[in-house]
Amino acid sequence: MNQKPGVCTFCGTGCGHFIGTENNRVTRVYPSQNHPVSKGRLCVRGWNIHELLDTPERIKKPLVRADGGYTESSYEDAVARLVENLKKYPPESIGFLASPRSSNEEQYLLMKLARAAFRTNNISLDSDSGHRASLNVLHAGTGMAGMLGSIEEIRKAEFILVAGIDITRQNPIIGSEIHMAARAGAMVVTLDSRRTQIAKLSKKFLQVNPGANKLAILALARTINDENLSDAAFMSAHTEGFDTFRHAFGLLPDNEVSDKTGIPAEEIKAVARDLAKAKSAMVFFSSGISGLDEDTIGYIYNLFLMAGKIGREGCGVNPVAGLNNLQGGYDMGLAPDLLTGFQPLADEAVAKKFAAEWKADVPSAPGTPVYESLSNPSSKLKALVVVDHDEGIVRYADAIRNLDFVAYIGAFKNPFADFAHVVLPIATYVQEDATFTNTERRIQLSMKKIEPEEGLLPGWKLYTMIAGKAGQAWTYAKVADVMEEIARLTPPYAGVSHAKLSSGFGMQWPVNEKNPKGTGRFDVAKAGRKLSFYKVSDVFEVPSAKEQYPFLLMVGKAQHFWHQNNLMKKTHIPMREYNATLMDYPDGYVEICPQSAKEIGVRDRWPVRVVSPHGEMRVAARVSDDVRPNTAYAPYFVQEMISRFLLGHTEVLKQGEDATIPVRIEKV
Amino acid sequence: MTMFLIKKADVGKIAQELSREYEVYGPMIEKSSGQTFFDRVEDLAEINLAAPIPSNPPKAVVFPQMERILAYEYDRTKNAVKMEPDYRVVPKALVGLRPCDLAGMLCLDRFFMGQEFVDEVYLNHRKKMFIVTNTCITPFKQCFCVCTDSGPAAKEGYDLNLTDLGGEFLVEVGSEKGAALAAKLGLAPAGDPHLALKNEKVDKSIAMFEDIAVDSKAWISRVMNRVTTGFAKEEVWEYIGDQCFECGACTFVCPSCSCFNIADVSNPECAGCADRLRTWDSCSYEGYSRMAGGHNPRKPVEDRRNKRFFCKLSYSQMKKYLRPGCVGCGRCAWVCPGDIGLPNVVTYVRREITR
Repeated sequence: MNQKPGVCTFCGTGCGHFIGTENNRVTRVYPSQNHPVSKGRLCVRGWNIHELLDTPERIKKPLVRADGGYTESSYEDAVARLVENLKKYPPESIGFLASPRSSNEEQYLLMKLARAAFRTNNISLDSDSGHRASLNVLHAGTGMAGMLGSIEEIRKAEFILVAGIDITRQNPIIGSEIHMAARAGAMVVTLDSRRTQIAKLSKKFLQVNPGANKLAILALARTINDENLSDAAFMSAHTEGFDTFRHAFGLLPDNEVSDKTGIPAEEIKAVARDLAKAKSAMVFFSSGISGLDEDTIGYIYNLFLMAGKIGREGCGVNPVAGLNNLQGGYDMGLAPDLLTGFQPLADEAVAKKFAAEWKADVPSAPGTPVYESLSNPSSKLKALVVVDHDEGIVRYADAIRNLDFVAYIGAFKNPFADFAHVVLPIATYVQEDATFTNTERRIQLSMKKIEPEEGLLPGWKLYTMIAGKAGQAWTYAKVADVMEEIARLTPPYAGVSHAKLSSGFGMQWPVNEKNPKGTGRFDVAKAGRKLSFYKVSDVFEVPSAKEQYPFLLMVGKAQHFWHQNNLMKKTHIPMREYNATLMDYPDGYVEICPQSAKEIGVRDRWPVRVVSPHGEMRVAARVSDDVRPNTAYAPYFVQEMISRFLLGHTEVLKQGEDATIPVRIEKV
Repeated sequence: MTMFLIKKADVGKIAQELSREYEVYGPMIEKSSGQTFFDRVEDLAEINLAAPIPSNPPKAVVFPQMERILAYEYDRTKNAVKMEPDYRVVPKALVGLRPCDLAGMLCLDRFFMGQEFVDEVYLNHRKKMFIVTNTCITPFKQCFCVCTDSGPAAKEGYDLNLTDLGGEFLVEVGSEKGAALAAKLGLAPAGDPHLALKNEKVDKSIAMFEDIAVDSKAWISRVMNRVTTGFAKEEVWEYIGDQCFECGACTFVCPSCSCFNIADVSNPECAGCADRLRTWDSCSYEGYSRMAGGHNPRKPVEDRRNKRFFCKLSYSQMKKYLRPGCVGCGRCAWVCPGDIGLPNVVTYVRREITR
């Protein structure tokens, strides 16, 4: 039999699959029937992962830039060039842009490389906004820096709120679980500005005005407060600091709720009552680059805390990671201020522990996230190492081009590599044992399935080689040794090893002496502390349409366009689907409702001009019932849209999908 | 009909004998997960005739998920093309095929080889094949082959058919190849009492569907009437379409789904060289039915969904397959994220459920 179990590495759901191989090539994929998360299902991306894994679009030889082009090189020489160039600069001028797709072992070693070998804390993930915001809220509130609920418990939830996430497209199998729960009788409510598929499958749909999510959440919380529906026993036994939240209720004049959110007040009140009376409830929201802002997440968390829907069976505040190892990235300390397991770098005892294990001091000077440096014209950043970057559309292209030195490390060809002076290839995730941590904290081992191409190193060996050249002798004999080191340094991973992960379907952290088989969900009874309300702001800037700019434009993703599409472009079927959209709308599109189309005087696929105070773009109109009058939706899948229009709205890109731009749409 | 008996302890000899001339495929249980696969057998001892219905249909043997069917090289300077078809002509033996899966393969045969054009690639996989079917003496949770007339026992298309009678298997011969193999193994002849015992087992299996095959029921004949005569309501298809995640899983796991895509993949290391790949495709994808010029006759998802069920259930399709396109294996129900596997769809159409 030629079916090897593994983990799908597209989104953060972490579905189980089997990969079939022939002559050391991946030829097929099949879902894993007994996997607790995916239960025999895969989405369109997962069903076509073998096409990606068989692509010839791989980087196969180390490359060094010479005479305006690249020459093939050896690892020996290319690594020497990398180390020599990084060593030219002081630590504050070096940066590491890590990938939320790399395995835990690779992420950990990159983090160690940056800190122990190159003495810098300038390390960050390429999608740092949303998920970090979620983790900050949940860590401050409960001590657990990860999803509080568990995917396996979705069917035990009586009430499920899907807040601003197109979940059947972004993480389809989690969307499927929610759909199954709805079919079994759960009250599923979608809060979104677009009528997404999950909105159609929900019992109730609150179509909120763009940018007014926070206000809608506050209105839910206020109803629970005003009608004495909060779980008083739970609150007094398990929570503290309600006052940091209570003040927000006074900020909201009654008549403004429906005006600003666009939802009738009675509808919001009814949903608040549904939430309060349910025995168990979960909320799902987007995390990662297109996630909600920290304040809105704080409101969501506080709402569920008031309702007593945290730390019990079928409950959970659940940020959904769009990328396979985004959670693992934070677990592995890929942030300027964090070491592994969300341990603060500033904690001296923690830094000491790492220094003893590493036999090297941990630099204490605070670092800067790479994107922050790139967006700052007076940044000191001169040299950058980028790993397995997914972006087909390179952000901050000019800033990167102006750096003195760029190195790219990755398995697949990528436009980002064109900026590099040194390109170092690594094996793909099916060519080495690797662990990944999904959005519900499940650490899964994906076993090696084929041999790497001749001479190609897996990531952990390459990092060990770089460390060696930089004067650090690392002594890992096999990749499992790296996980042993992670376990020694990381309390939630204390009980994890490749041997333990080699049977079954992974373990959810914390895995330790108390929970040797892992922890499915956060449990308030075992928390050993009170849960605190998150300190939220009292700012509600709901963008409003003005006379010159009557449309509120939302930006987001298209169906077959996944994380800038660098990987999807290497498949055949998903690529064809993407092309089908591209052929219909070669310059991208802006979705408007039939009524708006009539007012503007356009039909589907007719060209329109979208004008904002900061710029304009020419795209096609796409006429759809999924948006309301005077709202518009633009998925960013065409380079021109990003570079000519959206990049002019840096604030918007920073805020992610929740952000909106007031625009005018004109017939061309 | 010629019939023989083979002792349970000896049933492995069939695969053993076949392995001299054939590449052997059969049902095996993957140890780490407990999942059954119908796959290429390396260790004959792994074949497990008692294993539950394989999670994957055996169609991958004759119609792989992704295969190279051609390599070509275009020399621009000489304006010459070198083309090499890549057919894998290896005799293959399928041992322990379930009746529904055989029915699925017969549908594929009719699609790929039974019409005006014969598909060379398929033909080369399919020829020189030896098929040993295995009667389902108990149904599985997801089965509904009794509703689609494709089980629990195979009726045609096999070389040998096995039925577990307790201590021994009844071996029914379905072809000359099968007869030759039985003779070679020197099997003991079986008689009418054994056939009667088999029929009793099959009847018992059918009776067990009520209690065991609880996941799926599908009143195929009724819904076929509705679908064929156009009495399936638009709103029902919309209800079904809203639940479709457009993943393609139903088509990929279907033993009778035959749609494919062709992709030419250029070789970055050789200008002018390319591999032509054939991959599974799905009618649930929007790009699948999009025509050159941009028109898409089945753009909304519900139109794509109902196409699938027309393909499985309408009378016009039945003329092609000489049977319903659905073989009752139930796999689409367990892989569907939207919970619109064929049995549910049949129920919605039959009862006109719209939400």
